[in-house]
Amino acid sequence: MSRGRLSARPALLLFAAAVAAVAALAGQGAPAESHVVIFHNNDVHGKIDNFAKVAAILEAERKSGADVFYLSAGDNFTGDPVIDRADPPGEPMIEILGRLHLDLLSLGNHEFDYGLDAVRKLVSRFPTTSANIQPEPGVLPGLKPYVVLTGKSGVKLVVFGIIQIEPGNGLPSTHPDKVKGLRFTEPIAAALSLRKLRGEGQVFIGLTHIGHDQDVVLAKQMPELDVIIGGHSHTRIDAPELVNGVLITQAGSDNQFLGRIDLTVRNGKVAAKTSRLIDLSKAKDEDADLKAMIAKFHEDPAMARVVARSPIEITGKNALGSLMTDAICKVFNLDVAFQNNGGIRVNKLPLAITYHDLYTLDPFGNQVVRLEMTADEIRGLIRASCERRREIDLQVSGLTYIVRENGTQRIQEIELRGLNGAPLAEDKTYKVGLSSYVASSYRFAHKEPGRTVGITSVEALIMYLERRPDLGAYAEATRALYVKPPAPQAD
Amino acid sequence: MQIKVNGQPVEIFAGARVEDALRKFSRDEWRQVKSGRKSVRDGHGHVVGLDGELSGGEELVIAAVAAAEPRS
Repeated sequence: MSRGRLSARPALLLFAAAVAAVAALAGQGAPAESHVVIFHNNDVHGKIDNFAKVAAILEAERKSGADVFYLSAGDNFTGDPVIDRADPPGEPMIEILGRLHLDLLSLGNHEFDYGLDAVRKLVSRFPTTSANIQPEPGVLPGLKPYVVLTGKSGVKLVVFGIIQIEPGNGLPSTHPDKVKGLRFTEPIAAALSLRKLRGEGQVFIGLTHIGHDQDVVLAKQMPELDVIIGGHSHTRIDAPELVNGVLITQAGSDNQFLGRIDLTVRNGKVAAKTSRLIDLSKAKDEDADLKAMIAKFHEDPAMARVVARSPIEITGKNALGSLMTDAICKVFNLDVAFQNNGGIRVNKLPLAITYHDLYTLDPFGNQVVRLEMTADEIRGLIRASCERRREIDLQVSGLTYIVRENGTQRIQEIELRGLNGAPLAEDKTYKVGLSSYVASSYRFAHKEPGRTVGITSVEALIMYLERRPDLGAYAEATRALYVKPPAPQAD
Repeated sequence: MQIKVNGQPVEIFAGARVEDALRKFSRDEWRQVKSGRKSVRDGHGHVVGLDGELSGGEELVIAAVAAAEPRS
């Protein structure tokens, strides 16, 4: 901490005291002028390491004369096994945010990934807002459409949250089972219905989780707002952005940056506003207690817990790929699933399979994508997968296939058979599961663009193993063959 | 859903992330962004993370990273 900051504090405190005294004399609830500092982050996704630095920054500022707030624009959960696999999931994040004295949370779509019990814990622990979530009675008690935060000077911030929904199903981007008992309305309309709150405080804020593009749309329609603090799109807004007079900001993702907004509130309204991002990789000070707490979370033996025991060591791409694709088929009730060999990162699973083993096997965090595909479209995917290397690249569940080359090193035929050995029906549409990597990087024609199911492939595998399938069945699991014509005999 | 990458329409599954859209556009460009040689910005000129979640109609622009620009 610099000497300059220390010496500046008494002056700031005196200034704050004077401002408060003027306000009290004026008989108003809020001071004639106050300096509001809002720290914010979004889309932390379980990355906890920089929170010791965040704590030091918050602590230093809270000792100043300013009204200091710390807000989250959602998606604190999901993205790191330390948080995802904690018992119960998300608990370390809740403890850390508690230590940081989080003033307000706007729910993001990934807050729902661990189920409603985890969300209830968040809502019971922190003031939480989302104006476009309408829970059935008793489902999420405590969730507010908006919250009024009062600073130590008496300044009032009226803050509402909104969460993104998918145009297709009207739900946030998470597994639909995770949001049962909740109704979601269109977020911008929900925000606009709160215009009247402008007069309830000196500062009016949208703490949104709808993505930056939609934040711009909101700002254009709602000039009553002073600030929009966004999330969801992982946008790094380095310099202040004003749209229709509304300051829009967002702090990237993964706890790499801490957002800071400085407001001057004068005579009941915001007279000046600016924002910037603090690059946490360059921050030096750390809160020692929180640093120790974070280190302890990393030592959590949760990753060493055994998920399943197998009678055999499941070995090789064929067997491991069969297991991974069966998981996708069974967990999501699909007809067919594919897994690329490049996404299978170990050659063997031990008899006692731990979370660590599974995250090592499938470390990329790829989402499962569900598509409707015809047999011909499936052939197109298989063709695209093995044309480059002239070998099997996609492991499969729900069918078997044989790729046959002709004499010119080109694919002549792809034979698809169902699990009963009969040729796959050509006139049917199949529910197919792919990893987001395969769905986005393999070049194949398909009419239906597909949709993520809100769960990663490794999570699907864990869910499958928790059902205790017969793992002995993966001793021999070749389901795809690439047949090349015999090499011509030399004379 | 459809988004645009460098002005070209890209049809991608609902729920896709920035990384998915880049891969669909060009695996080579995706690798360059992933390695930090290039960065990806939204239609407003802001840097976006590869895990950023997309909605239909959004625009992405891939550009070389300037020498002084911090890599995200």
